[in-house]
This record gives sequence, structure tokens and C-alpha cells, in this order.
Amino acid sequence: MSLEVQTRKTDSGITVVVPSGRLDVAGAPTLKAAIGEAVKDDGTPRLIIDMEGVSFVDSTGLGSVIAALKLVRGSKGDIRLAAPNQQVRVVLELTTLDRVFAYYPTVEDALTDF
Amino acid sequence: MIHDSVRRMRHDAGGALDETSVMLFESALAEIGANTLTHGRPDAADAPVEYELHLEGRTATATFIDRGPPVHNHLTRSMPEPTSETGRGLAIARQVLDELGYERDGEINKWRLVKRL
Repeated sequence: MSLEVQTRKTDSGITVVVPSGRLDVAGAPTLKAAIGEAVKDDGTPRLIIDMEGVSFVDSTGLGSVIAALKLVRGSKGDIRLAAPNQQVRVVLELTTLDRVFAYYPTVEDALTDF
Repeated sequence: MIHDSVRRMRHDAGGALDETSVMLFESALAEIGANTLTHGRPDAADAPVEYELHLEGRTATATFIDRGPPVHNHLTRSMPEPTSETGRGLAIARQVLDELGYERDGEINKWRLVKRL
């Protein structure tokens, strides 16, 4: 199951990236490239990664999310994760990255006050 | 392949396994599997990674054999800083498994992953 990524922009200028499939060693480069492309013209990017369609994440997939975080925060922007499933949440907790990423139950929740 | 093998194991067990434990085991398999595919094939064409998964009762045992360099120095590596993009695989596997065995046998690496599910 290869990873597919769609992106859209909300009326308030927030970029929503929607990967679907397995975010693993095979899918990580696809997400990294899509996020780089999505925020390249943003001065101060605000990015939500909608994880609802991500069935499984591994440490390489997490690495691509961390790369996105560094990219976005390097431009004084920020990143939020929305709708991670149980496996994604557990891996975030095991790696203590739940302290780095704010995550929200839905994209709508993540959009609030962003 | 790894995910298919877990799906078959889950199916064959007929709902007898703890789903959270299966999920954690699958995460460890993915980490060690990715490591062996990335680092365990100095010449990819001639050096396949061997993988087996067995379930006995509720104890799952998986083995990987690769032909990469020895990895003793990486086994006890702790979880890296949050900003690191790499280096979490073995630490995740160690945390979620009941046993993570590693043996260097001549020119090959043998991995053994055990978890009660």
C-alpha cells in the first residue's frame, strides 16, 4: 500500500496535508516532498497533517513528520497533527514525540485558534 | 510482506489475540524489517533478507536473517532527541517486545523477536 498525499488550503491560509496509506520507510519520502512543495511559498506556514487515512506509521515515517516540523518552525510557522489512529498515537508516545506535536481528534479541532 | 504475515496470523488465531499487543508487535516487526532491508543487504541482488513468523499458543516469534555488517554498537542505543529524524527503530522494538534477540553468526545477523499476544 503506497502512500498518497493530497493538499488543500483553507480560507484562512492554513495548509492541510492529507496522506493516506502506510507512512513507513516507503511512504516517508512522498510525504516529505509533498509538505516541502505545499509550504514553499508560505512566509510563515501553518500546517495540519490529517492523519485519519494513515493506517500505520514507523520510525522513518515519523522522521518525515519531524523534518516537516523543523521546516515549518524554521520559518516561524507551526504544525499540528489531526486524527491519528491508535497505532500512530502509541508510537508518538513511545518515542515521546507526543510532547513535541500537538495532536487533535479532528481537522476541525486542529483548525480552532490556529 | 510483514503486514500480510501479521494479517494472516491474526486471521488464523480467530480473534484470540490481544489487538493492542498485535499492533505493538507489528510495529516492532516493521522497525527491524526496515533496518534489515536498509542496512542488511550490502549487495541487494545477492543478499535477500530471510523472515519467518510463528505463533505458538499466544506467543509470537519472528526471525530475520540479514547479511549486513554487525550491529552490536546500535543495540542499546536510547531514544534520540525529539528533533532527530532517525535512530528510533531499535529503541521502539526494545520497548514493545518481550524479547529482542540478536546474534552475529559468521557473516550474518540473526534477529529474534518475541511477544506474547
